[in-house]
Formats: sequence, C-alpha cells, structure tokens
Amino acid sequence: MELLDRYLQAVKKHLPWQRQDDIIAELRANLESQLEDRESETGRPLTTAEVEAWLKQMGSPMQVASRYQPQQYLIGPAVFPTYWFVLRTALFWVAVVYLIGVAVQFGVRSPSLSWVLGAVLRVPVVFMTTAAWVTLIFAAIELIVTHYPAKWPEVACHFSDWSPRSLPPLEKQVPPGKKPRSYAHAVAEVVFGLFFLIWLLLIPQHPYLLLGPGAPYIHLWGPSVSAFELAPVWVQFYWWVVALNVVQWGWRCLDLVRGSWQQPHIVRQLTMKVFGLIPLGLLLSVQDRIYVTLRNPAQDEGQYGASVASINYWSYRVLLLVCAIAILQLLWEIAQASLDAYRKRAVVMR
Amino acid sequence: MTLAENLFENLRLELRRGCLTLAVLAQLRQEHYGYTLRKALAGRGLDIDESTLYPLLRRLETQGLLTSEWREEDKRNKRFYRLSSDGVQMFGQLLEEWHAINASINAAINSTNATTNSTTNSNL
Repeated sequence: MELLDRYLQAVKKHLPWQRQDDIIAELRANLESQLEDRESETGRPLTTAEVEAWLKQMGSPMQVASRYQPQQYLIGPAVFPTYWFVLRTALFWVAVVYLIGVAVQFGVRSPSLSWVLGAVLRVPVVFMTTAAWVTLIFAAIELIVTHYPAKWPEVACHFSDWSPRSLPPLEKQVPPGKKPRSYAHAVAEVVFGLFFLIWLLLIPQHPYLLLGPGAPYIHLWGPSVSAFELAPVWVQFYWWVVALNVVQWGWRCLDLVRGSWQQPHIVRQLTMKVFGLIPLGLLLSVQDRIYVTLRNPAQDEGQYGASVASINYWSYRVLLLVCAIAILQLLWEIAQASLDAYRKRAVVMR
Repeated sequence: MTLAENLFENLRLELRRGCLTLAVLAQLRQEHYGYTLRKALAGRGLDIDESTLYPLLRRLETQGLLTSEWREEDKRNKRFYRLSSDGVQMFGQLLEEWHAINASINAAINSTNATTNSTTNSNL
C-alpha cells in the first residue's frame, strides 16, 4: 500500500533518529494488522479514499511523531509565573527608560518629523528584543531546573521552595464606596509622573516650557529683557518641588514593584503633604517678603518701584491663603485618618 | 462544536488521560502487541487512538513498567508487551489509589443526592 508507505516515511522524518527505525517497524506492524482487519471486514481491499480517510483519522505525520517525543517546554509551569512577572516588569521599565531617552533628546534637540517617526517605529523592536532576551534567559533557567537540578540546586530550589513568611502583608481594606486603584491607574501615575518630572527638569534650560512667550521677561535662569527679575528664593522653591516629586515618583514605582499600588499607605500620603508645605513655608519666610525685584533698582525705582511693592504685597497674601488652605486640608485628612484608625481599633476590640 | 461541547470534550480527555495508563497496565497483565491491545481495550468499551496508545506503550516501557520483545506472528514481526515486575507493583499501587478515588467520588455523589432528596421532600 503506497499511501501507507508514504505516511510512515513522513512520520519517520519527524522521529528522533536513534529510535526511528524501531518505532516505524512497530507502527507498520500495527497499522498493517489494522488494515488487514478492515479488509477482512469489508471482504475487499480498501479504496484509496478509504485509506486516506483512515490515515487522516490517525492524525498528521508530524502530530503522530510528536507523541513519541518526551513532553518538552521552552518554559515549564514551575518557572512560567516568575517568567511572566519578570517579562511584564522588564517591558514596563524598558518602556520607561526608552521614553526618558526620547523625551530628553526631544528636549535637547529640535527633532524633525522623521526623527519622531523613527522613535515611534523603534518601540516594537525594543519590546521584542527585551522579550527575546528575557525568554532566552528563562529558557536557560528551565533547562537548568529540569535537566541539572543537582548541579545548580540554588536555582532549582528558588522555583520550588518558598516560605509563607515571605508573603506580602495584607493590603489595607478598601472603605465601602471607595474603589481600589487599578494597575492601569498606578502605571499611568508613574508614566505621567515621569513626564512631569522631565518637564520640571527641563525648565531651567527652557523657561518657555513654564512661562511661554513671557519667559524672556522674567529673569531667573536666563537673560531678561524686562525691568523685573524673580528673587533667588524661587530657585530654592524650584529644587524643593523637584525633590518632592522625585520622592513621590520613587514611592509610586516602589508600590508598583511591590504590588501594593491598590491602597497607598495613608501615613506616607500625609507625610508627603507635610513635606509639601515646606516650599510654601520657604516662600512665606523670605526676608522682607520679596518675590520680585528690579533688575536695575537705581535706574527703574522711580518708574516701577510702586508696581514691584504691589506685586510683592499681593504675592505674600496669595501665598498665605494657599498655605492656610493646604494646612486646613491636611488637618482635615489627619482627622479623617485618625477617625478611621479609631473605628478599626474599636471593631477589633469588639 | 459549540463552546459547551468543546469544554466537555476537554474535560473528558482530561478525565480519561490518567485512567488510560491504568487500563493499559491492567490489560497488559496478559501479553499483547499494539493492535491487539487496542482491540482488547475497545472490546471493553475503552477506545484509544493509535496515536495515543502506541507512544504510551513506549513511554511505559522507558519507565520500566513494561517489557517488550519482537516476535514473528502471522508471518509478520510484531512487538509484544507485558507488565514487568516493577509494572506489576506499580499497577497494584495505582489500582489501590483508583479504588480510593472511586469510593470518595461515589460517597460525595451519594451524600449530595441524599441532601438533595431530603431538601426536595421537606419542600413537598
């Protein structure tokens, strides 16, 4: 039967070479016996269509041959969860680093449309390269875990050994009516927080990012064309804002890595708000409440002196108001947090 | 095939997978070559695809549970399998386990049936 011979020949090509002759001889004996049985049932040789249908039912040669192979995984079920976590984390951080690189270059040079297009088109390549490397590393780990567990016991143990003590602490319960933050929300906060930081850091070199067309008129980091300039206290204020944003962004990243993004710790949130008052306090405590000065006082005092005094007076009043609102809001949140803590404690005591 | 049929087929295959090894070991207390083994199992109501059964025999032999020898029968060379001494021991252990699982499932089914019946009676 030519069709059967062709079928067996095709199966043989996909079998491990050490055992292929033996397996094919056995398969041939079984299939020929089956064929003989079928022919004796029908009382005639099977037609080509019947043989085709029978072989089709057996499965494709590659499929049949694959059943003779040991079960193989590129990354097996023991290693896969770690692989999946690392892959997602790696892709996220690669995206963040790539975005920083692109944003910095975007700020430093004035990019053309083709440069922007190139940066966008490189994204899939960057992702695929990262995924390929992570997969390759984990395929190697899988090989070690399955084939050489005795040679690298610490690697093999890592994936089978764990302690309940290493479990993260219970997450804070969500108060009724308040939804926990989603992962997408937390990721968006990190990404946009990063963009905000980059924007903040670019301001000294590119004041127009903050002040727009008014940048040349206010002298702080660069030459001014107007009679006014900002007092040096604004530089200190700026670096405080940068530092607070860096700390907050770092905390959000930490939450994301530790898997505790759903409910950020209330004490941490309040601490950040307390530290947020420092730059405001700095502005309010500045000597003589001077926020704007004249670039050439001797020359412009007569013309702009009254305006500068008025600007400083109202700036101080506005800052005082903002600071008062921030303190009241902070006190309100502290009171609410204390009340929540008291209620929880009362429930536990009951 | 509908989604429910597909799900049933997957669960059925999963359920059969473990039982097939036990059935093959049970049948190979008596010597068989691949095709007659398949026929014997089918005769007892357990149809197994050739592409599943023949590789399974190889695997069980590699694991030391079966022994095999090539022999001529009806002018054709065939590979005959039977349980090895390790296979006999393993078959005994697996059979015990299977009986225990069977008894547990029956107990669970009977207790659920009893609860359902008593609830129905009390509602009536």
